[in-house]
Order: sequence, then structure tokens, then C-alpha cells
Amino acid sequence: MLRLLPIVLLALLAVAPEAVAEVRESNLYWAPEAATVGAKKVDTLLNFIFYLTATVFVLTQTVYIYYLVKYRKRPGSKAYYSHGNNKLEIIWTAIPTAIFLGLVIYSNRLWAELHSPPPEDSVKVDVVSYQFGWDMRYAGADGQLGKVDVHSYSVDNKFGLVPDDPAGDDDFSSTELVIPVNKPVHIYLHSRDVIHSFYVPEFRLYQAAVPGRTIAWVWFEPTRTGNFELACSQICGSGHYNMKAPIRVVSQEEFDKWQAGKIEAKAQEAKAAADARALRTSTASTHPAGDGPRNEENKL
Amino acid sequence: MSTSATTFVPDAGQPSADHGHHHGHEQSFFFKYIWSLDHKMIGLQYLWTSFFFLFIGGLLAMGIRYQLAYPGVPVPLIGALLPSTVASDGIILPGGYNMLFTMHATVMVFLVVMPLLIGGFGNYLIPLKIGAGDMAFPTLNAMSYWLYVVSGIIILASFFVDGGAAQSGWTAYAPLSSTAAYNNNTQIGQSLWCVGLFINGLSSIAGATNYITTIINMRAPGMTMFRLPLSVWALFLTAWLLILAVPVLSAAAAMLFTDLNFGTTFFAAQGGQPLLWQHLFWFFGHPEVYIMILPAMGLVSEILPVFARKPIFGYKAMVWAMVAIGFLGFIVWGHHMFVSGMNLTLGAAFSVSTMIIAVPSAIKTFNWMGTVWRGSIEFTTPMLFALAFVSMFVIGGLSGIFMASTPVDLFVHNSYFIVAHIHYVLFGGSLFGAFAAIYFWYPKMFGRMMNETWGKIHFFATFIFFNLTFFPMHNLGLGGMMRRIADPTVYEHLRALQPINVFVSWASFGMGLATFIFIWNFIWSLRHGKPAGKNPWNATTLEWTVPSPPGHGNFDVTPTVYNGPYEYSVPGMQKDYLPQNEKAPEGARLEVH
Repeated sequence: MLRLLPIVLLALLAVAPEAVAEVRESNLYWAPEAATVGAKKVDTLLNFIFYLTATVFVLTQTVYIYYLVKYRKRPGSKAYYSHGNNKLEIIWTAIPTAIFLGLVIYSNRLWAELHSPPPEDSVKVDVVSYQFGWDMRYAGADGQLGKVDVHSYSVDNKFGLVPDDPAGDDDFSSTELVIPVNKPVHIYLHSRDVIHSFYVPEFRLYQAAVPGRTIAWVWFEPTRTGNFELACSQICGSGHYNMKAPIRVVSQEEFDKWQAGKIEAKAQEAKAAADARALRTSTASTHPAGDGPRNEENKL
Repeated sequence: MSTSATTFVPDAGQPSADHGHHHGHEQSFFFKYIWSLDHKMIGLQYLWTSFFFLFIGGLLAMGIRYQLAYPGVPVPLIGALLPSTVASDGIILPGGYNMLFTMHATVMVFLVVMPLLIGGFGNYLIPLKIGAGDMAFPTLNAMSYWLYVVSGIIILASFFVDGGAAQSGWTAYAPLSSTAAYNNNTQIGQSLWCVGLFINGLSSIAGATNYITTIINMRAPGMTMFRLPLSVWALFLTAWLLILAVPVLSAAAAMLFTDLNFGTTFFAAQGGQPLLWQHLFWFFGHPEVYIMILPAMGLVSEILPVFARKPIFGYKAMVWAMVAIGFLGFIVWGHHMFVSGMNLTLGAAFSVSTMIIAVPSAIKTFNWMGTVWRGSIEFTTPMLFALAFVSMFVIGGLSGIFMASTPVDLFVHNSYFIVAHIHYVLFGGSLFGAFAAIYFWYPKMFGRMMNETWGKIHFFATFIFFNLTFFPMHNLGLGGMMRRIADPTVYEHLRALQPINVFVSWASFGMGLATFIFIWNFIWSLRHGKPAGKNPWNATTLEWTVPSPPGHGNFDVTPTVYNGPYEYSVPGMQKDYLPQNEKAPEGARLEVH
């Protein structure tokens, strides 16, 4: 224990200046407090299953231990000769079947609800996973995310944007997932290399990101502001244990401010790039390098 | 000696008294112990070899637990001896940690639990229990064992190749596993993993063919299918599962191998499909879970009646429940993939079949409880392990319901909750069953009893430390701790849970130490155990009608079977058990079922 202390302290120091994700102090034996609408519904089901299984466990084990004590071998005790009872077999087949069918109906309804089409007014974020980190992409001023070709990720095109889709030109990127509270957030999940997964325990949400595919059905609505950690929860290589990104759930005003700042920065960046290009083309000989659409052959 | 030991009524004299007398020829050392064709020796070879791998797999587990309790702190004592791919200056590397858990699971699943339960007890018990002289194909049987040894050597050797052993998890999800550039230069290690599993698969398929043929064709006269002991039924069904599921893994491993080495793209994102690997792997992997638990269920079903002195409750329900598990086991693989990116509607369908497969497991549990009901229960060491098996299996089964419910799986998938679940099923289930079986059949195998006192100490230590180790993992999982992360302290929300991790690790070290009690008892009893005689437990099945250990060829005269396997405490009989090969005496009121 003592040897561990310096490491914990060092680790705490290392992250101290940043906005720190929620530290758990109470109720350590149960799940962290739910932070989305869906998470609360999952919790209701989770608790239901917990009480159901706990009841079954306590009942069966009480009976079992009672039998073991009552029917222990004693001088003169003799076992009762019986090969079974068909009526009992039917009862203990039928009751679990009924319970399980009920449970599967409840589960599948919630499953369908959680995966219903995301609302129109959702904040859309493209989340791209890679060994070993996360890139987030938000729509720019046009409110439209540019189209993606899942096979054209490259060093220069880390979001796999389709070059001839103008909607992607003003998209801005972020290394943290910033989202407004009380508003649906629609996540598009991608991977540039191997399978990763988008896991946030407070959101009760796990979804694998599969390379070569777009996972477009994940959406949730945060119910409280706070700092969380996005974790990769699918073994993805030697850096897997540390593949995380900050999540900030903020008020709408704060989000708007952050978004406006990002859009502005992106515009500045684009302007600077255009200036540089203009300078290059005017000074150097005429060669339209780097301007044309890339990876044309890979387009879907 | 405990009181239970004094009640044994050995009905034959010295151990090994008539060993080797059945067939007059003496075999050379090589043919007796190395290239043996005798199913009993092959069974024992499996047993010893799987013990060796259990030790290795256990050490790997200790390494995992050390790292999770003390990430970044050099491993004491053996740290300097670890290969450079696993640790540097005694500190376990993240990639090395990935190797530890990948190989822990690979070793435990393919080199311990399967060979121990199926290879060891399957080979030893099937011919003895059905009244046969040996397996149908003795040479194939020996080959099956040696293929297992070869696969084990290949898998262990992979630690020492360039880049080290595979580190993509025992599930080896592609394209992490199939692309050298992604998997931390473990191309050779991952390739050897494929080769090892391929050869291991050949061993399983050979063994399964043998079991099925033997059980169908070589039963003694009167040994109808519904007079088979439940352990034989369990092994019979397991063999079918092996034959149907293992070739799929072999094919997948071969494809993974060519992806790694010859530029094919079966599982690549471009030109292939990463999810294909998961479908193939889990099409094998889920039946595999039942391959590992069915034999343990069978063995436990054998032990409970003996020490409750009662027939098994609902024999036919037990058989049909296992048949149902075997069948349904092939249509639930998608429940490993609810959140993998698979079609969402498909997930809903798989959740239905998954809930349904829980029903036969529940039936079996109720029947085990029915078996001890109104019994006359003697708490010997094998009985304690068998009774604990039932309870631990109940916990493992109930925690499975959380994952079977798709929305809850959204939360607990790939968390420590599933690590807890799988260990309640595989350790609390399969290994507890194996321990029960070892204590129970040891007298038959070696002619002497294991020490009861040390057996009980081993049981209670294992039982307590097992629960202290694995139960808190449920809490860690609910707390949001991911599995397969080398250092939980890098996450803010997990740092508060670190004391639980430290606690779990120390409990696991205790469990590791408890195993030495078992090893000591096992070795000590070989020479000093109480002589067992033919039938120390007053059991009914055929293996207890021959000397301990049985001679070559098992039976002097092929037995004729008159009764079912569990005729205990039959009213109107003097003794409280009726062996399968004895006609019921006048006045015995057997229940026809």
C-alpha cells in the first residue's frame, strides 16, 4: 500500500492543473451517478435485474443451506429414495421461462428506445478513434458535417473527409468532447486502424468503433454538467490502457461560446492557409500541387 | 483424520495388489508412461500436464494482479527474470501486461480446463463407466494427448520469440491481431498462437471423435443410454460440441495466420471484414463456454448423489437440459457482440436465445438442490467442492443475466463485471468441479485416499479467497473499470477504486498459495494416503467394481448392467447402494422411471 502512495500522488499532481474529471468519493461499491437520460433508464433496468437476481440468490441459497444443515448425515439418518418429480420439473422450467421472457421484452423495448433515430436538433459529432487517442469533429458555421470516406484516412486527412464535399471545409476539430447539457448529442463513430470502443461509465454507454464502417446510431442526452473521461474499452494495443479523452458537459451558453471560438479559429486558419497558397502559386512556377482532390480512387 | 474417513468400508485389500495381473504382459517404461495406449494412463498424462499448465496460468494471473495493484512498481523476486518483452527493470510494460492476460486466458482455456476435464476425466472415466476395456481408438487417443503437448509447447515458446507472445487478448479481435503494424510487433507470437490453437484443435477433434465412437459402440450389455452416468452424458454432448465448434476456430486461426503472414485480408477493414473474425470466434467461443462447464456439471452430478446417498433428482430432466444447452449454445454467440457494431435487431434476437439458454441451467440447479433434499449428506472434500460448485454456478449464472439484457450490456460490456462473471463460471464452476472430481476419483486412480483434513483446509481456503478475489470485481465493473487495462490509476474515476484492486490482488495471492496445499496433499497421498480399496465411497457406477487402480483392460469379465447409475438408499435393501452390475435383491423396491 505504502509503495503505491508516491505513484498515486505523482499521478494526481500530473493532472492537477487541467480540468479534472469527476473523482468518486462516495458509494464506491456501485455505479457512478448516471449523467444522461438513457443512463437513468439503464439504471432502472439494472436495479430491477439486481433485485430480481439478489432475491433468487438469497432464496435458493437459503433453501440450499437449510437442506445441507437439516439433511446432514447423523447416526441413524437415512436418505429418502426418490428419482424426482415431474410436476416440480414443469414448475421450475415454466417459472424461469416466464421471468426470462418478461425480462427480454423489457430489455428489448429499452434497447429499441435507446437506439431510436436521433432527434433532428442533435449536436452532431464525428468521433474518430485511433491508436491511441481520439479526434472529434464538429460541423462549422453551415451546421453540416462533411461527408466521410471510411477508407481514405491518412496523415493529412485525419477525418477521412471527401474532398469534393464543401460541407466539410469549415468543420472544426477538437481533442476533447465538449457537449451541451440537456440537448441530444449524436455521435458518428469511426476508427482509423483497429477496433476501439467509446465507453463512458457515467453515460452507461459502450459502443465499438469498427474500422471501415460508420456507426451512426449512438446518441444520448446529458442531464448534468461535469467533466468525464472517454475511455477506450476494447483492447487495441500497447497504449490501450491510456487511450482516453476529456469530456466536458457544459451549459448551452458555454457551449455556444466554445463553438463560436472554434469556428472563428478555423476560419482564421483557413484564411492563413489560403494566403500561403496564394503566395506559393504566385512566387513558384505554376504547379497545382496539393490542391486537387486526394484519394479520388478510394472514394466510395 | 476426519470422521468421514473412518466410515469408509474398503472392500478390497491393499492398493495395487492385483495391478498388472489382468493381462500378463509387463510393458516397458516407454510404452507404459510415454507412448501409452491405455486410456487410464493417457487420462493421467492429461491430468499431470494440465496441472503443469495450471501452475503456469496461475503465475500469469498473479502477474496480472500484481500489476493492477501496483502499476509501475518492479515485480519483487522474479522481476529480473521476466523476458524483456514483458518487463523492463522488473516493471511490467503495458504490452507485457497485454501478453500476461492474453496468455493467462489462452493457457487456462485451452491448456488447463479443457484438457483437465475432457482429456483427463474423459479418458480416464468413459471406458470404466460404460464397462469397456479401453477407448475405441487407442492410438488416436495417444496422438490426441501428444498434439495437446505440442500445442502447449508452441504457445509457451511464443513468450521467447522476437516481439514476445500474442497480446491481443484470448479473443484476438482483428484487425489488431491480424496486422503486424498494429499489434506491437507480435507477428511471430500471434502466428504461434494461431498455430498452437490449430494443433490444439486437432487434439480436441481427435479426442471428441474417440469419445463419441466409444460411447455409442462400446457400452457393456445392459448399459442403455438412459443408464449412462450423467458424467458420461456430459462428456458425450461435450464431444459433439467440440466436433461442431472447434473446426470453426481452426479455420479462423488459419485465416488469421494467412492474414498475418501471406497478405490475405479476411479480417482487414479494407477488402475484408473485422466483424467476421468475431462471428467465427464466438461461433466457436460460446459453445466453448459450455464445452468447459458441461463436463464439470456431469462430474458434480456424479458426486452429489454419492454423498447425499440419494438418486440424482430428475435424471432425464438433467439429460435433456444438457441436450438443450448443447443445442442452444450454438445460437447465442451474438450476445458477445451486442455492442460490437453488429446490426441492432440481430442483437435483440440473440438476447432472446440467450435468456432461453438460462432456463436449462436453472433446471439443473433446481435438480441439484432436489438431490440434496432429504438426503443423508456427508461433507467429504469432494462433496464440499461439488456443493460449492452449485452455489458458485448460481452466482455466475445470475450475473450472466445482466449481460444478457442488452441495455445493461451497454454499460457492463468489457468491464470487470464480465471478468467476475467468467471466473465464477470457469473457476467457481469448471475448476471447482475439477477439484471435486480429483478428490473423488483420486482413490480410483492411485489406490489411496487423499488426506481429508488437508483437503478441507484446501477447500475452505480456496472457497474464501476465491470469493474475496472475484466478488469485488463485480463492484469494480459497476464502478466503470474496463478490463484489459494495464494501469487503472490513469483514470480519474478509477483511482478511488484502487484500494479494491489492491484487496482483490492480495486475495488472489492467497488463493494461489492455497493451491500449494492441494499440490502437497496430492503428492503426499500418493505414498502415504489411506489404502482405498475398490469402492471407498460405496458408489454404484462400474468404475468402483474394479480394483484401484484398475488393471490394463479394466474388466476381467465384461460386466452386465441391470440398473441405472444412481440407486442409493433403495427401500427394502440391506446396503444403501445398488451397483449397476448387481441385480436388485429380493424385496428391493426400485422406482421405475
